[in-house]
Amino acid sequence: MHRAQRRLLVPAAVAASIALALTGCGASNFGGDSGGEAASEEGPIKIGAVLDITGVGANLGVPEQNTLNMLAEQLNADGGIDGREVELIIKDNQSTEDGAAKATTQLIENDDVDLIIGSSRTGPSLAMRPLVEAAQVPTISVAANAAIVDGSEWVFKTAQNDLVVLERILDDAASKGYTKIALVRDATGFGEGIADIITELGEERGITLTATEAFEPSATDFTAQMTNIRAADADAVIIWGITPSAGLAQAAYVQLGVNKPVYQSHGVANDAFFEAAGPAADGVIAPMGRLLVADELSDDDPQKPVIDQFIADYSEEFGSSPSSFAGHAYDAWLVGTKALESAGTDPEALRDAIESTTDLVGISGIFTMTPENHSGLTADALIMALAEGGRWTLLEE
Amino acid sequence: MIDFLQLTVAGLSQGSVYALLAVGLIATYTVRHVVNIAQGDYATLAGLGSISLVTAGLPLPVAILIALISVTLASVLIERLVISRVKNLTTLVSIILTLGVSTLLQAIMLLIWGAEAKRLPAFPGSDLTLGGVSIRSQELWMLGALVVVGGGVLLFYEKTRWGKALRASAEQPVAARIVGISPAAASVIAFAIAGFVGATAGVVSSPIYLSIWSGGLLLGLKGFVAAVLGGLVSFRAAIVGALLLGIIESYVAGYVASGWKDAVAFFILIIVLIIRPAGLVLRPNAVRV
Repeated sequence: MHRAQRRLLVPAAVAASIALALTGCGASNFGGDSGGEAASEEGPIKIGAVLDITGVGANLGVPEQNTLNMLAEQLNADGGIDGREVELIIKDNQSTEDGAAKATTQLIENDDVDLIIGSSRTGPSLAMRPLVEAAQVPTISVAANAAIVDGSEWVFKTAQNDLVVLERILDDAASKGYTKIALVRDATGFGEGIADIITELGEERGITLTATEAFEPSATDFTAQMTNIRAADADAVIIWGITPSAGLAQAAYVQLGVNKPVYQSHGVANDAFFEAAGPAADGVIAPMGRLLVADELSDDDPQKPVIDQFIADYSEEFGSSPSSFAGHAYDAWLVGTKALESAGTDPEALRDAIESTTDLVGISGIFTMTPENHSGLTADALIMALAEGGRWTLLEE
Repeated sequence: MIDFLQLTVAGLSQGSVYALLAVGLIATYTVRHVVNIAQGDYATLAGLGSISLVTAGLPLPVAILIALISVTLASVLIERLVISRVKNLTTLVSIILTLGVSTLLQAIMLLIWGAEAKRLPAFPGSDLTLGGVSIRSQELWMLGALVVVGGGVLLFYEKTRWGKALRASAEQPVAARIVGISPAAASVIAFAIAGFVGATAGVVSSPIYLSIWSGGLLLGLKGFVAAVLGGLVSFRAAIVGALLLGIIESYVAGYVASGWKDAVAFFILIIVLIIRPAGLVLRPNAVRV
């Protein structure tokens, strides 16, 4: 009996896998060709995502992955988009530029996706840009640097622009009378150009940049950078990076007794920052979205219901609170699926629909995109938060 | 001057981690001529393991003890299941084999502990400032671990009969067997020692440098560079080399550019291999048993 079953099973399995492989190839060849339009109006809508799930960006990518999986499940449970199921394909770029390029190519060539979300950080997002522009696939990045969408036709993003974040920091610094700022920045794409922006924005506020140090996001020892910053004689210091490195840098900063006020970027808008920085986090000021201070928002804040719902859903599903990066993924999904609902999967129509996003209330802010503005958030999307006792609190302005 | 001393302290504590890993590498090399690429993964494995145990509610010393024993056993298991099965084990084969083991260990760690870096609570003690130079108590623990564990292994190999017997079995396996030293037992003991020192490096450094699944390879390679400075056989030269490496890295990061930090070790490695392939202190056949 057993043997007979097995005898049948093997050829059946082989046949089935060959059949699967054949149909799989056939479908993707069809989809890849220009004649795929008719086919792509039926069957599932395919959304690809390229995220930093392993490597130095894992603190960003993992909650983003959770969020997208959760939202796709919710959407399909509600009947999908126009009755079509949504198929989510998530790929790990391992926090590398070439990993992001490879994953993007696979999504375009093999999976024939209608929309791409990602990457989590600036470097990998910039690596994806020429590929999606050439293939004309609407793409929504969840990373920060404005260069990702500068003059782009097919790329959008949902994280607040670094320019706006720095404006908030420098405004705050100027209001406190600081004139000399030192910068310790991430050595990758996220920190690229930050020194220039500070120099430029600082000029009109009477602030000069006196010292710049860089660190790799994989770094664990910051003694060298902070020793130099201690010698730099600045009124305040900006640490610009993501967790955990920015948190470790903060710990080294306090440990070495630099003793100047610290601003950090929205790259630390998660609880993992407190894990890395420990008690050294106390007193840090950082501009970020409203998600992490949701319980302090006033009831008439238009974002409050959206944020509260998201926190409740996410906490129930994963047993921990979402980070700002989870929020960026939520917003990318929201912007993308709204556009898919109104325009379908034709690439040009979809891009135009994303470009006409108006007053869409998300987690990181209220989005209004235009053909010229593919970022969609203003400085209002940011609040100033203070690190206190292991959590972010809303700073009264 | 304060900056200089500050950088030196940071370099010494980082160097003590490299030194422990170098001791582990030499422990298996002198007995089995195995270059164990997975040596650094023992450190991350012990770090992550003890973090989980602490999270589960165990007191820190107990968690560390269990992690140290487990990783020591894991190293022995690797020796029994992989290393000892290979008939013609050359150094090159050992590198390829243990690279495979390292990749496997990393995959397992990624699956169990996830992609994010984790931190072990700091050991008891308070930070101090000496003349403007701030010293973390954990850095003293790291240096202390090097003195106790690294020094212990060094004395064991160089001063005790057992340690000398281990080395004998590597130099003259047949003769060693005739006088009653089992090469298989010698190999197991060497891997147990390597596992224990690697795990020690992992638990003492985790409170400052964190533990992440992918961190072992680079750590192991830094230890390897230090071990090469000692010609892969001298514990003393490797320990001194590791401390120097840590300090030089720290100076380069402070005075030149932090981006060059990780390149320093490999620059040194290239120079040493070109000029003195047998290491900085020993003549090629200087090992005496």
